[in-house]
Amino acid sequence: MQRIKFIDQMSQGKLSRRDMLTKASAFGVGMLTLPSLPKAADVLTCLEWAGYDDPSYFKSFSEKNGTPNFSIFTGEEDALAKVLAGFSADVMHPCNYSVNRFVNAKVAAEIDVTKLSNWKDVFPALQTADGVVMDGKVVMAPADWGNASIAYRPDLVDDDFKKNESWGIFYDDKYAGKVAMLDSELCITFGLMLDGMSYKEAAWATGDKLKAAADTWGRKCTANSRFLWTDPTEVNQGLASGEIVAAYAWNDTVKNLTDQGIPVAYARPKEGFFTWYCGLTLLNSGKADKAMAYDFIDAWLSPETGKTLIEGSGLGHSNTKSFELADKQAVAKMGFTDPIQHMKDGTLFIQVSDQVQTEYNKVWGDTKALMQ
Amino acid sequence: MMRHTEKSAWMAGYTLLTPAFLVMAVMMVAPLLALLALSFWTQNGFEIDRTPTLANYWTIIEPSDEPFFWMGIPFPFKYPPPAVLMLKSIVVSLVATVLVILLAYPMAYFLAFRIKRNKTLWLVLLTIPFWTSYLLRVFSWKIVLGYNGAINSALKSMGLIDQPLEFLLYNPAAVAITLAHAWIAFTVLPIYVSLEKIDPSLLEAATDLGDTKWRRFLRVTLPLSAPGTIGAAMLVFIPTVGDYVTPMLVGGPGGTMIGNLIQELFLRQNNAPLGAAVAIMMMLVIGALVAFFFWAIGFRKLRSRVS
Repeated sequence: MQRIKFIDQMSQGKLSRRDMLTKASAFGVGMLTLPSLPKAADVLTCLEWAGYDDPSYFKSFSEKNGTPNFSIFTGEEDALAKVLAGFSADVMHPCNYSVNRFVNAKVAAEIDVTKLSNWKDVFPALQTADGVVMDGKVVMAPADWGNASIAYRPDLVDDDFKKNESWGIFYDDKYAGKVAMLDSELCITFGLMLDGMSYKEAAWATGDKLKAAADTWGRKCTANSRFLWTDPTEVNQGLASGEIVAAYAWNDTVKNLTDQGIPVAYARPKEGFFTWYCGLTLLNSGKADKAMAYDFIDAWLSPETGKTLIEGSGLGHSNTKSFELADKQAVAKMGFTDPIQHMKDGTLFIQVSDQVQTEYNKVWGDTKALMQ
Repeated sequence: MMRHTEKSAWMAGYTLLTPAFLVMAVMMVAPLLALLALSFWTQNGFEIDRTPTLANYWTIIEPSDEPFFWMGIPFPFKYPPPAVLMLKSIVVSLVATVLVILLAYPMAYFLAFRIKRNKTLWLVLLTIPFWTSYLLRVFSWKIVLGYNGAINSALKSMGLIDQPLEFLLYNPAAVAITLAHAWIAFTVLPIYVSLEKIDPSLLEAATDLGDTKWRRFLRVTLPLSAPGTIGAAMLVFIPTVGDYVTPMLVGGPGGTMIGNLIQELFLRQNNAPLGAAVAIMMMLVIGALVAFFFWAIGFRKLRSRVS
């Protein structure tokens, strides 16, 4: 009624300027206070890797709670900085080598595993693995596990490389502009390993040694990369078109491309064939109901999600039942069913101290900034 | 009585501006002050140390005996990334600005002098690129310039090349091209407005006095449209220096700009105070450059001559 009267007055030109301003400011104040009015429970927010926001990974959650919000990150450090700057997320997807950063920054909360119906089916060794448990508390519910290595086009690289697979391809001028490394400080770590260091030594390198390695190896691998990738689709497209012939990649790239009939091989580099396991961490910055966060984590641990991961991405899953549920052929093609054996077969990415990680972040950032 | 109306007009002016002032205060001034405050703090591990210090600014300008060489240019700094990227960003933005003006000026000229009917329609047509998001426009350039992109496919099908041209994408030139396209509509309008305002009798007078078309353009049209053109150039140059999305998507490893460093400092390196200091320094440098430019061309004189 009030509204109609107002419009009538306005159309008849009876409204004074003062009235108009009063109404306008009332409207403005009203709009400003609107978001703070009571509303339905907050939606769950998840900090996630690109591609992992696919609804098939958390079906049981969506059936109960609807669609969650996602914030996509390039690397765990980006996600951590975002949380530290005040971004409220409920869950985050770190890995065995990075979860310590969240715990040390005091943004991770302990996970009460009794609230996870699928926990009992998680590989026992993963239930107590490093990074899953820290200081006697479960801080990451393990979900996916797999590899990090070089995916390459056997039809486009030299036989020399195929006979002698090595991380050296990212530093070889013969492949300049034909490779794509992940936008990660591993660019420097791998260089140190080519220099003869063990992975562990290289990951813990600091000071002048690190700086020198960044100046030579870091710059080389950045300069030779067509692009430093931040999203797996970039790599998939690049490898498929032949724009790049080799790239740092996870199992899903190889699986996706071979499924499309594109010749792609997954290298076992002599310096190291890397392995990792990742999972969900509960953040204490969340605004959504904790029960919802547990639902989300539980959905990720479900054998159905495992089946999707195995069949869709060629990645391992933490639930023992996933391997029974998944297509036998897909499991056989993947070549591994036991996470522990799998970790032993490769070089597991490790945690380093906050100090070393910070130094690595800085040196890597400077290397990228100073490219010609 | 006179005084009274003058005062109320003055009051009314401010009352009308109040919403704009409020928005500016909340959305611009407050974050800027927060950024300024942040730049005087320091990052200490995961915590921020709130003792005011100039340490971040010193980090940016601290001299070093051994200069860092970038493209043969010596940078005598201990921490050269901000200085190097500042210079690079300014160069990329200048190239983009020149490109934009070269492309936009003829368009505006055409609109102002050649279009007699349906001017509004033409102006609406100009805004069509803005109907999609900026991100999509950058991505579409990735498709145009890409390995299997429009340009490469076309050249290949015409038999001009066997292998796709790789220098099209992932370098500073790609950044400049993309920025130029993204900002062009912003520049056509101010140039158009200043061309539109030109009194046709001045042009007639120039012709009557024996100027050729080209001389008439140089002596009458160009100077009279200068304020709009300069304003348009500023409108492109100032925001593009700090752009970070475009270099991130089409710049490749060598196409990084100062905005990317600021983002990197705020996020991956978790050093927001240093990032804030770099951002403030960037604003100061751009401000100084623009001020110097206006002083150099005598903008005040130029404006008074026009009006």
